[in-house]
Amino acid sequence: MPIEEAGVGRLAAGVDPSIVNRLIFIAVVIVLTFIVFGVRLFQLQVIEGEDLGNRARRNSVRTVHLEAPRGNIVDRFGRELATTRPAFGVQVMPAEMRERELTFAALASLLDQDPGELSERVGNPRGRRRFQSVRIAKDLPYDSRTRVESHLYALPGVFTDVSPRRYYVGGSLAAHVLGYTGEIQTSQLEKRAFADYRSGDVVGQAGVESRYESVLRGRAGGRNVVVDVAGRVDEVLDEVEATPGGTVMLTIDRDLQRVAEEAFLPDVIGGEEKRGAVVALDPRNGDVLALVSRPSFDPNSFAGGIDSKTWKELTESEGRPIQNRAIAGQYPPASTYKVFVAAAGLEEGAIVPEDRVFCPGTFKLGRRTYRCWKRGGHGWVNLHEALARSCDVFFYQLGLKLGIDRIAFFSNGFHLGRKTGIALGSESPGLVPTQAWKERRFGEVWLKGETVSASIGQGFNLTTPLQLAVAYAAIANGGTVLRPRILLRQSGPDGTVEQGPERESLGKVPVSPEHLATITRALEAVVHEQGGTGGRARIPGVRVAGKTGTAQVVHLKETEDLEEDEIPFKFRDHAWFAAFAPVEAPEIVVVALAEHGGHGGSAAGPIVNAVLSRYFKSSMPEAPPRQTKPRNPPDLPTPLDPPEAPEEAAQVVRN
Amino acid sequence: MFGIDRRLLQNFDWMMLLLVVVIVGMGIVNLASATHVEGELTGEVRRQLVSLGIGGVGMLLVLAVDYRHYERFAIPALLVCIALLAATLVFAPVTRGSQSWLFGGRLQPSELAKLGLVIALARYFHRNPPGEIRRLRDLIRPGLIVVVPVGLIVMQRDMGVALLTLLITSTYLALTRISWRSWIGVAFVGVATLITLWMYVLQPYQQRRILDVIDPGRDPLSSGYQAIQSRIAIGSGGLLGTGYRAGTQTQLRFLPTQHTDFVFSVLAEEWGFVGSCVVLSLYLVLMLWGLRIARNSKDGFGAMLAVGLVGTIFWPLVLNIGMVLGLAPVIGVPLPLFSYGGSALVTSLVGLGLLMNVSMRRYVF
Repeated sequence: MPIEEAGVGRLAAGVDPSIVNRLIFIAVVIVLTFIVFGVRLFQLQVIEGEDLGNRARRNSVRTVHLEAPRGNIVDRFGRELATTRPAFGVQVMPAEMRERELTFAALASLLDQDPGELSERVGNPRGRRRFQSVRIAKDLPYDSRTRVESHLYALPGVFTDVSPRRYYVGGSLAAHVLGYTGEIQTSQLEKRAFADYRSGDVVGQAGVESRYESVLRGRAGGRNVVVDVAGRVDEVLDEVEATPGGTVMLTIDRDLQRVAEEAFLPDVIGGEEKRGAVVALDPRNGDVLALVSRPSFDPNSFAGGIDSKTWKELTESEGRPIQNRAIAGQYPPASTYKVFVAAAGLEEGAIVPEDRVFCPGTFKLGRRTYRCWKRGGHGWVNLHEALARSCDVFFYQLGLKLGIDRIAFFSNGFHLGRKTGIALGSESPGLVPTQAWKERRFGEVWLKGETVSASIGQGFNLTTPLQLAVAYAAIANGGTVLRPRILLRQSGPDGTVEQGPERESLGKVPVSPEHLATITRALEAVVHEQGGTGGRARIPGVRVAGKTGTAQVVHLKETEDLEEDEIPFKFRDHAWFAAFAPVEAPEIVVVALAEHGGHGGSAAGPIVNAVLSRYFKSSMPEAPPRQTKPRNPPDLPTPLDPPEAPEEAAQVVRN
Repeated sequence: MFGIDRRLLQNFDWMMLLLVVVIVGMGIVNLASATHVEGELTGEVRRQLVSLGIGGVGMLLVLAVDYRHYERFAIPALLVCIALLAATLVFAPVTRGSQSWLFGGRLQPSELAKLGLVIALARYFHRNPPGEIRRLRDLIRPGLIVVVPVGLIVMQRDMGVALLTLLITSTYLALTRISWRSWIGVAFVGVATLITLWMYVLQPYQQRRILDVIDPGRDPLSSGYQAIQSRIAIGSGGLLGTGYRAGTQTQLRFLPTQHTDFVFSVLAEEWGFVGSCVVLSLYLVLMLWGLRIARNSKDGFGAMLAVGLVGTIFWPLVLNIGMVLGLAPVIGVPLPLFSYGGSALVTSLVGLGLLMNVSMRRYVF
């Protein structure tokens, strides 16, 4: 009932009197709330006060962060690639130190360090920083640690701690797959994905470590302890144990990975250590069996923080070891690209397998002359021979007949020019040029001469080793482009197991199985026939199909008069070799790239050979030697036949 | 309207001003201890003094104009607040998982929005007296005023502030005459909503914080750690406290965010049960005084404004003290007038200026 209000200066005239009751209600609620607060304060301060006060007076409760041990990363047979080991550290709390100089002198002799330097590191902080401990050693060897611990009683203010430390069992083995860990960066802390992290937390910074961070991380625990003046633990108040991270099982085969890496070492291929990459895939399901990038690095060196000099070396030195060449390195595919041009030619009807072309060693287009790699020429060759001997002139003519856009259509059909979507960061897309692309990129029209270069995989074309492996896997398995997968399964600390991604098809190649078979026969000839360029990949008892490639780094003219040894290293050609085996039922695709390696067959061939040899040695220990029929055309590849694999492999391979 | 009327000075609410000055003064003294570094005035204290200056000037400016003029600006002011909140979503960087600061961290629009909402709701309830609201559906229209700003704050992922803003506006519910039965229905719907929120909206760390109130020992490391250390600090204060700048918990920085969210623990440790009770009593008197202003105000708008403004002090205080005493979850809500934080101090002072405005013009027409 609102009151008529028109008067001036009347007391409280404007307020609805019924509201007054409500205001009293609010006042009562407020008073009651404060009574609750008062009672709680009384309970905490007066009743429990003495007990809590004692804890505080002893300056006592300290929270010990119990870092969760990171989950293991294992290979496809469960063999450890990355695990966790304890690291022993030493800390000093300035406020609790007595006899500063003596303590530092003692510590210096125990830790084999300079006392002056130690003293400087700890400094002589004032105010609140006196109570912040300074870590003076992070990862002590066992004997130093026991020496320090046996002297702790005499060194107030000094204490030791144990924290889990990432340990990569094989050192640099599979470093680019595994990635590395490091302390979380300030910029990451601000992202929502890391809302749960605190500064100082260790987080995966690359590769599998980063991609499967949520599985590997686990959950940190904590322990509230009462410590005495010297920092020794008096009493554990409560503790929440850390939950270790889950295990990530990769598709990688550790032995194969090691062999592939060692193939770059000087003793296998002779001369200096090579740079480059290897990818080994299972063409039946896309499993990545090995993925190598050289030069490599030791991710163990990141585990305890890395100094800026080492980091600079890893990222900026000419070899750039940190870069994953297998997925991020883009190179002209060179002659390995001819199979896609051949597929396009067959499918478009631009050529039939019987057509012959005469190769005199050169090819004239307008006023320019394009050379075949074989200066004397190949003579009359058909498609089979042209692929087997890698005749350039044959493909110059075929490429011109097709035109760049048809070539690009078929290349795209093999998923070139796009990321494969492997579960590792920073993949490069490669490049498949078209007329439209050049128009967009340079605002210029496409030239015929550029088609000539493109048809042997030079010019603008770029692929990553992984892309090439995926494309060759499609040839090997009868035409399915598969997304390469790296995760076999993951399991939580509680034993729950989650399978990795299913076999995922990215599409069918626009090429008929008969034409793929024709190409496969030619690829087998590359390895097994007289005059083929890939004889170095031959292994006893297994039919291998493959293709060599030699990517020019600089234009031919500048180096053609020099012998290979005389060409400056950085101008030497990149060597490719892409292969799969066994031809009748391919189980493995291997693509090797040796940067500045020289000729594809001689430089990359032995790497492929090493990987295949290892694969078939372990895969068929007792099997009778396979029949090799190099002269006869093989049957159609039957891609999804059950593999002849040993028992342990059979358990993890899912078709 | 700007002229100084003699009666205005006569009626000036000296009691209110005294309460505010005493509380803010104690806050600064306490802050100096919380951020204490031997022999110097810390940056936090200096910045808080600057904010106090700005807030004081804001208070005087707000006082100078008859509060009834603000009614006319209620809607434009609310729109400006909404625009600022929206701008935050577009321009502000995400820090620590939420996105709530403008102008390089100098302005937190969600603070302003609380005042804007109170003025807008005061206008609404002045025109639609809450004493006549008997049905839940009558709350739909005022609800619409609240929904947009709170929605924007939720989109900033600032759940603490969103909850706080909702609670502040809910103060007006106490004035309505909706039956208890209706409220039971609302409670039912509310619980259902909370369960949905818990399952689908809250981030795991937010869930954990709520669980930590129920059992602080659960995660002694992060949020549980704060609760435990805070309790030890308060307890060690005992009856009379450890003395100024003598609290070991405080001075040794065992307390997390002790100059913002846990500033009351510092007070409780160093001044004990007696000191804590004195400060809490001051807040109590301040709020009861605010309700008295509401009762005595000469028109409905003034009354509604005063009730809402009491709410802007009451609710953050309840959440903060509740958190510090381990009775409520660790939500980052600062203690009004006490915690370090410029935007909050300035808006609190401006709000209290409005309250005094209502008070001193209770007789004048």
